[in-house]
Amino acid sequence: MSDPHPITITVNGQARSAIVEPRKTLADVLREDLRLTGTHLACEHGVCGACTVLLDGSAVRSCLVFGVQADGAEVTTVEGLAPAPGELSDVQAAFRDCHGLQCGFCTPGFVVSIHAFLDANPAPTDEEIRSGLSGNLCRCTGYAGIVNAVRQVVRERAGGPPTEGVPTVAGHAVTTLPSAP
Amino acid sequence: MTATQAAPGSGVGRFLGQSVKRREDARLVTGHGRYLEDVLWPDAWHVAFLRSPVARGRISTLDVKAARALPGVRAVLTGADLDPLVKSWWQTAMGKDSPQPPRRLLAADDVRYAGEPIAMVLAESRYLAEDALELIDLDIETQPAIVSDHRGRWGAAKDGELVHPEYGSNVASTLPYPGMPDSNPALEEVLASAPHVVEETFHQHRYICVPMETRGIQARWDPARDLLEIVSSTQNVHEVRSTVSRLLGLSDVQVHARAEDVGGAFGLKCFVDSEELAVAAAAYSQQCAVAWIEDRNENLVAGGHSRTEDLTVSLATDADGKILGIKGHHVEDVGAFPTYGVGGNAGLAMMMLPGPYDVGQYFYSAEAVFSNTCGMTPYRGPFLMETVAREQLIDITAARLGIDPVEFRRRNMIRPDQLPFTTPTGLVLETITPIETLDQATEMIGYADFRKEQAAARAEGRILGIGIASYIEGSPAFGAAGAEQVTVRMDMAGQALVFMGSGSHGQSVETTMAQVVAEELGIDIDDVRIVQGDTISSPYGTGTAGSRTATTFGGAARIAGQKLKEKILQVAAVALEASPDDLEITDGVVSVKGTPGAAIGMEQIAAMAYAGHTMLPADMEPGLEAKHRIRNPPLMFSNACHAAIVEIDRDTGAVEIKRYVVSEDCGNMINPMVVEGQITGGVVQGIGGVFYEHFVYDGDGNPLTTTFLDYLLPTAADVPDIEIGHVITPSNTPGGFKPMGEGGAICSPPALINAVRDALAPFGGLPNVQPLTPEVVLDVIDGVPAV
Amino acid sequence: MKPAPFTYEAPTTLGEAVDVLGRYGDEAKVLAGGQSLVPVLALRLARFEALVDLNRVDELAYVREDDGAVVVGAMTRQATVEADPLVRRAVPVLAEATRLIGHFQIRNRGTLGGSIAHGDPAAEYPAVVTALDATVTVAGPSGTRQLAAADLYDGPMTTTLADDEILAAVSFPVWGPRSGFAVREMARREGDFATAGTVVGVTVADGRITRAAISLFGMGPVPLRARDAESHLVGAATAGLDLTAVGAAAVAGVDPPSDVHASGRYRTRVASRLVARALESALQEATA
Repeated sequence: MSDPHPITITVNGQARSAIVEPRKTLADVLREDLRLTGTHLACEHGVCGACTVLLDGSAVRSCLVFGVQADGAEVTTVEGLAPAPGELSDVQAAFRDCHGLQCGFCTPGFVVSIHAFLDANPAPTDEEIRSGLSGNLCRCTGYAGIVNAVRQVVRERAGGPPTEGVPTVAGHAVTTLPSAP
Repeated sequence: MTATQAAPGSGVGRFLGQSVKRREDARLVTGHGRYLEDVLWPDAWHVAFLRSPVARGRISTLDVKAARALPGVRAVLTGADLDPLVKSWWQTAMGKDSPQPPRRLLAADDVRYAGEPIAMVLAESRYLAEDALELIDLDIETQPAIVSDHRGRWGAAKDGELVHPEYGSNVASTLPYPGMPDSNPALEEVLASAPHVVEETFHQHRYICVPMETRGIQARWDPARDLLEIVSSTQNVHEVRSTVSRLLGLSDVQVHARAEDVGGAFGLKCFVDSEELAVAAAAYSQQCAVAWIEDRNENLVAGGHSRTEDLTVSLATDADGKILGIKGHHVEDVGAFPTYGVGGNAGLAMMMLPGPYDVGQYFYSAEAVFSNTCGMTPYRGPFLMETVAREQLIDITAARLGIDPVEFRRRNMIRPDQLPFTTPTGLVLETITPIETLDQATEMIGYADFRKEQAAARAEGRILGIGIASYIEGSPAFGAAGAEQVTVRMDMAGQALVFMGSGSHGQSVETTMAQVVAEELGIDIDDVRIVQGDTISSPYGTGTAGSRTATTFGGAARIAGQKLKEKILQVAAVALEASPDDLEITDGVVSVKGTPGAAIGMEQIAAMAYAGHTMLPADMEPGLEAKHRIRNPPLMFSNACHAAIVEIDRDTGAVEIKRYVVSEDCGNMINPMVVEGQITGGVVQGIGGVFYEHFVYDGDGNPLTTTFLDYLLPTAADVPDIEIGHVITPSNTPGGFKPMGEGGAICSPPALINAVRDALAPFGGLPNVQPLTPEVVLDVIDGVPAV
Repeated sequence: MKPAPFTYEAPTTLGEAVDVLGRYGDEAKVLAGGQSLVPVLALRLARFEALVDLNRVDELAYVREDDGAVVVGAMTRQATVEADPLVRRAVPVLAEATRLIGHFQIRNRGTLGGSIAHGDPAAEYPAVVTALDATVTVAGPSGTRQLAAADLYDGPMTTTLADDEILAAVSFPVWGPRSGFAVREMARREGDFATAGTVVGVTVADGRITRAAISLFGMGPVPLRARDAESHLVGAATAGLDLTAVGAAAVAGVDPPSDVHASGRYRTRVASRLVARALESALQEATA
């Protein structure tokens, strides 16, 4: 039984089949066998959160689940969140609006996690937002743009005014000086 | 949105100076980025490296027969297989004759750090490759490792046995360089006679780049095409190409290197290290495709380390706190195999230690030493020790003199009327604004009010502190790095392709450089596409590193755009039968000023420039293409002031950052949103370094922090909002841009440490160590002597 | 960082799981939520001939009331425990401790039984079962047996379960009225294993403490009970109680480990203060 197993997973609404070794993680099955490379691996030991997917609706680390365990399950990856090809989900749009990503490698895990987090807690406080994001690591942004993106989605989903312009990191004091002599 | 005013000289236009949303994002937020691991060739053989389990020893047994016999394994290569292929090994920026330790792709006789590659497996999958590793029989006769912890390591590194017997010394390099004065007698006089001299040694622990995407490379040698094709996760494709061609004795036209999306680097992917070169050599010798994706364990243990150093600084002042002189002595641990040369950063630190201050007499010496640890690699602000040490010593000195640390800085900072200011190290500072940023930062954080709040909090038993730090960010652009080229090409349809030798790995280059070109050409930003990271299509360049992209590529893009604009107007002038001087470009249409209706679109101009060349004057070259290779000064500067407020839990020593303010002057901002993203990201790396991250070796050179459970990156819950103010003083280079990508990481450590030191002032002194773990802090509060 | 090969077994009943496990003996490992086991496999720090996956054993996922206790099936996800109304009402400290485990993505997959059977001495659940005197139900080839929490742990990540036994359920006794509980921990970052932590429970009657439990985690090879400190508390008046002294008593004689995050000396000092803070909170709850 360490031989490859046939499995079928409903990924982003589509039934997909593969024959995989039991030891192959769900992340690797998604990336290699199903060619959905949006789910990234950045630690492979369950700390960084880059590989987060929805497994039967719950956000989990796909590096800590074996592909065979997902046989018969429904999986949603970052590729399955936008309402239509060429469009963005509100979380994805907020990431763009708020500069919630730089290199973008960790972003799929954040986006998937935030969809799940806000489904469970649609009106988080700032402290709850930061706590909710603490299971995903980002090395580029310092998290400011990501926190702002969550704030934007919360505001929009609550029926707040559409976001205008680009919300940036914080309030600003800007002094413009003439060029030095 | 940033309330930047379109004042003269601030560089704000239709696209420039605007927080334009990033063009990279649509693909990256939907999972359609293409990082190396997403584009592995189906025929690639997957690599896993056998690595040394010990820091130092002789290899007595290395038997790979059983591993070679495992089904699915193509090859198991050792140093005996690969190292004979090596023709020469050096980094372009260092030059061929620069000293360096002996290099090898795979250790064959002895090992010199825990994690050093010994053998490489090529297998059908990484799973199988790791299975094969378990079948390799390896015995090492362990020898005493030359390492020690970060408080006493230097003595161990100097005495006794050698990390590299071939090098003849554990001292990798020293400053002053031969031929430079080895002392400054005037400074010695100042130190002997000044009313106050304060000397401290600041210990900097090892923390490292840790991009979310680790290193990786795939290479394929195709003898039929006489081409070694490489895709690498790199900041600098041309360096990949050149290093590999030199290594294997190929010519530059036999190697094609390119990068796809790169998932962060922070310096780690500037140079090409032994594993990447081993993959190229394996592809060449095996005549096949080979791929290696570094895993996180490898990345932490062997992915290049940083920031392992001590800086001793003596500061002399007069009775009023005016600085009379500074002396620095820097000791760096560069590990066994630094990724470039001998890996030291003291040369730049020496230039930058005076910072934004008028320091009087100056002298700096340094020593870099090898150890049996992972080699040094550049990490965002590699020379930051100058700011980390200086800004702490200023606070310590101010406290001893009873002067407020803000006031102490103000008294000593270079004033506007002193510009241009030549530092003791010969740097010419033309457009810096240290006092303005100090004023803005202290006003934003409410420095004066905080002191009252702090006094009240102390009365309640709460522990609050504030820290300030200022710096000059020097961006090195030596040699070819100061001469980057941008080519703008408009084809028959009238849109612009922009070719650059940059290597974006999160810096938003596809957006910011398009802003620059669209602004100059007067066309829509959607009609501009950036092409980079490809040795065949990009002009020769040094990639994206050292905070240079805005100043070098941005400056070149501006001038190349101007040149193309002139050409566009010349062609349009022929069509419109007008003088180019009477024409203007608006929204992609060239029109005669003040003559409605006399206009021509970009597509028609392009058609005329190419297909209608017979209509052009005889002395006009057909086509719409312009290039500019910039000549920037070898160092460019921005400046900033950081301010932090912390509160400490007196039961646990945990530090909470309550506020964090940055006031910076990076000249004209191409995209304020991107500028603020760079600042914030850098600051949080500093937070990580000061409070969480520490790569730890035990006394035998065994790495102890080999996973993300032990090497702690800061999370969203550990950091505050970062408040940012801008002072805008354009530089004197094209576009008025200044370098700013590293400053957040350079100045945040001393600001944070100063805040903790200030908070702990009632309890006695904070030792000059990092990281400031809860234990270090609690020991001060409880009055327990440090271990 | 890829796991070595293993045979995958996915039984659907507890009986089947016990049978399968029995066939392999110590060559097999039970796979519950996998949040600790899979990283160990990926790092190849351990390898097993077979993994017996309990994720399809539906009968092990439940929370129910049984004879004055709350019984939680081993395969109940931590996220379920955290949100369960019965747990929150009857064993509130279990829900409170659950929120400190990792991050929500970990709790969505991690299970109560997996964490307790894994027995990480720095984890929250082993300290909760130790403090509350929970009882563990173990299934083996010869049927089920009950095991007191105090008899569960042998050493770091080692239990007294036999190789062919499966932890099937945990029974948490419900304390009476006027009881209060608290869990406090110091972790380097949110979601990290605790550097030091404590779970406490008290019952108060007529201004005096009638029952007290203090467990410590991250402080030794197994979760520890601070029996001496507890005996000082029982019978004591809540008014004027010197909690700092109780905290000091709780860590007296404890010899916690040192690692890259903190020395044992630090752990001792911090644990003592966490005990005091936790007791203050628990006493408030009990006397509210």
